[in-house]
Amino acid sequence: MIKTNAIPLGKISLLLAILFWLALLLVDLVRIFGVINNLDSGISEEVTWGLEILFFFFTYFLYRHIFWKSKQVDFVTLLWRGASTGLFAAIAGLLTELIFYALGDSKIGKDPFLQTIFYHLNFAWSSVFLISTALLWKHLILYQKTKKVVKQWQVFELSMLTALFFIFFNHNNFDYSFLFGLVILLVISILLSANLKWIPYLKFKEKWKTLLFLFLILLSATLLFYRILAYGNEERFQINLTDNLFLMALFGFVIVYGLFSFLVTLFNLPTSSVFEQKLTEALNFQKLSQSIQPEENEEQVLDILVDSCIGASFSDGAWIALNPTEQLKIQNPLRSIEPSTLTELTALLPAEFQNWSLTPTNEFQPYSVRLKHPRYKSALLVPLLVNKTLLAQIVLVKEVKEGFNKEMVNIIGTFARQACISVENHRLLNQAISSERYQEELKIAQRVQKALLPLKLDHPNSFDICAYSNTTDEVGGDYYDTYQVDEHKFVFIIGDVSGKGTSAAFHMAQMKGVFQSLIQLGLGPGDFMIKANSALSKCLERNHFITASIFELDTHSQQFRHARAGHIPTLWYSAQTQSAEYIVVDGLGLGIVRNQNYENHVQEIAGNYQPGDFLILLTDGILESRNDVGEQFGYTRLKELVESYPQLPPVELQQAIIDSLHQFVGGDGMIDDDYSLVVVKFKERK
Amino acid sequence: MLQIEKVREGDVLILQLIGEVDASNSVLLDQSIQESLQPEIKVVVIDGKELKYISSAGLGVFMSYVDDFSERGIHFSIFGLIQQVGEVFKILGLDRVIAIVPDKTTAVALRK
Repeated sequence: MIKTNAIPLGKISLLLAILFWLALLLVDLVRIFGVINNLDSGISEEVTWGLEILFFFFTYFLYRHIFWKSKQVDFVTLLWRGASTGLFAAIAGLLTELIFYALGDSKIGKDPFLQTIFYHLNFAWSSVFLISTALLWKHLILYQKTKKVVKQWQVFELSMLTALFFIFFNHNNFDYSFLFGLVILLVISILLSANLKWIPYLKFKEKWKTLLFLFLILLSATLLFYRILAYGNEERFQINLTDNLFLMALFGFVIVYGLFSFLVTLFNLPTSSVFEQKLTEALNFQKLSQSIQPEENEEQVLDILVDSCIGASFSDGAWIALNPTEQLKIQNPLRSIEPSTLTELTALLPAEFQNWSLTPTNEFQPYSVRLKHPRYKSALLVPLLVNKTLLAQIVLVKEVKEGFNKEMVNIIGTFARQACISVENHRLLNQAISSERYQEELKIAQRVQKALLPLKLDHPNSFDICAYSNTTDEVGGDYYDTYQVDEHKFVFIIGDVSGKGTSAAFHMAQMKGVFQSLIQLGLGPGDFMIKANSALSKCLERNHFITASIFELDTHSQQFRHARAGHIPTLWYSAQTQSAEYIVVDGLGLGIVRNQNYENHVQEIAGNYQPGDFLILLTDGILESRNDVGEQFGYTRLKELVESYPQLPPVELQQAIIDSLHQFVGGDGMIDDDYSLVVVKFKERK
Repeated sequence: MLQIEKVREGDVLILQLIGEVDASNSVLLDQSIQESLQPEIKVVVIDGKELKYISSAGLGVFMSYVDDFSERGIHFSIFGLIQQVGEVFKILGLDRVIAIVPDKTTAVALRK
């Protein structure tokens, strides 16, 4: 596969750097050859300078590429690389010296070509070391990038670039302009050296290593500097490559920043434990604040909390005391404390420590107490409050008096609060999950209950019937039903179970069963109530009852029979008198008197109806609905409403009642009680 | 909101209900009656003068004590109901099983 997009920048830079160095060497050798043979080689100094600059450039690109690739490498490794490069350059330089010393005054030792080659090699190593170290410093300086630091660095790079070309103006003279440039670059270097933010992040051990490597870098830099100065003083080379502002400034920068780093690291050593401590605290805090997963448990949070508290306060021991009413178990509540010591210490703590029922008036803070114990002298009590109850208390003990300073108490307080929030969130999450499950169950219940109310109401052509039911909770206790006994006989019933919600819904289902089974026996309304009472007495809870109102219509004879068991009286509109009345008939609710005596408490009435008459069966939710001043909808308002709409078909009349009810209640139109409505209207005979 | 004031006068226990009894606080009413039922109590009277509303759940509480009281020979009555609340008792037919009387004197006198 051919990678088209990946240009090997590093390799190209390396190749070009080597090529330009070779060219540089070649040019110098040619020049020496010219001098020896008294020939003018015709190569101007500018060619050498140009090649030198190009060599610097590509070395710079090469190392920039290397650093770009090693972004994730830690400081110590980078410093080691710098130190090893430096050592190599310095040792190579020393070896060269040694070789020439050994050769002494022999012919080879005086050979200008050999000397030039070694000079060039030393120059190359030194340059590579300086450029790579400068880029390493850049990496460290820009560790915590701010706009200001980046600007500073850019100024420095730009100045170095200028210094690179300075040679063309200055022609390698050590004059005031050279000195001036050097001073400016050194000042910038010193300013840059204030950026040492990477040092505190080193661990204690790393700091020692850093010191060693920085020392090696400084040593190498100094050695190389002296060598190059020595070269500069010799007149044997045709062109001095090293007395160059750029190279000198680089030396300055490498040594100044190296020195600053060394000293700051050294002085950071004693306080490094504090910084490490803060870093651990921050990590612990993060651990605590990560909310617990549903499958995990609260004990783990408490475990982390205890360890964090011990770490933050350098305690000599600790334990967790759990509120016995909370369902918590901790594997190992003791930390560096013997069970026997625990008993001793508990006895020494203030009395309120074991008082779990203490209701916190304000948020509990950790508080320290003195201990009169042979070993432990001070303790810090950390109460953990979850949902305004005391979940647990952590006790931290130290072998010194007043061992907990303000900062420790503060950070431990923060840890404790965070842990409590985690536990609370965990509980809320679990609650949310289970309540969601209940919601699902309730939805099923709602569907089942809806199916209990008839979709189709049995009725002949001679009357119209419609029904409506509204529940405030998912399920309710209102009930209506119809049954066709024979061709002319129809029964309809409305009922209301005492109470609300699920229990009412169960009883409503029983009522449906009772109605559907008893009505098939052909019982009249009165007998139906007696039997229903007896049946329900056996299955209703003692404090529950059901009210019902039942009608049996004979469409042939236009007669009705009716019984009421504690239910809201039915409103009867008579077309003849053009007025509505509530049908008054005695009747006790079902399940109130649970014996034969009930027969005496129910009454059955009979009568005739006329075409155009209508019946409104309802539950108390309608009449008891209240407006914003607490007034009930009431009997009269319904009666008057019905009398004003005698011509409406049942569905529209029903809607008119519902609308009127909503209007009466006002506000957002929510009616906070179950209510049901059945409207029956007798048609004109055709 | 429901507030229950208990007064003992010899073997007479008077519970004054202030506010409304609905599905949510009917348990409170039940507990209150349960707690105050010492064996020496012979008369239980509910003072309903300040009772503004009672739901079916509240009525259920009274109903559940009717048999219990008659077995223990306790006279149970309610007095001072406002018209609206009295109507609720009447429609359900509870006035047939619980004595609803106009005032406290009548209520206490029931034992004789």
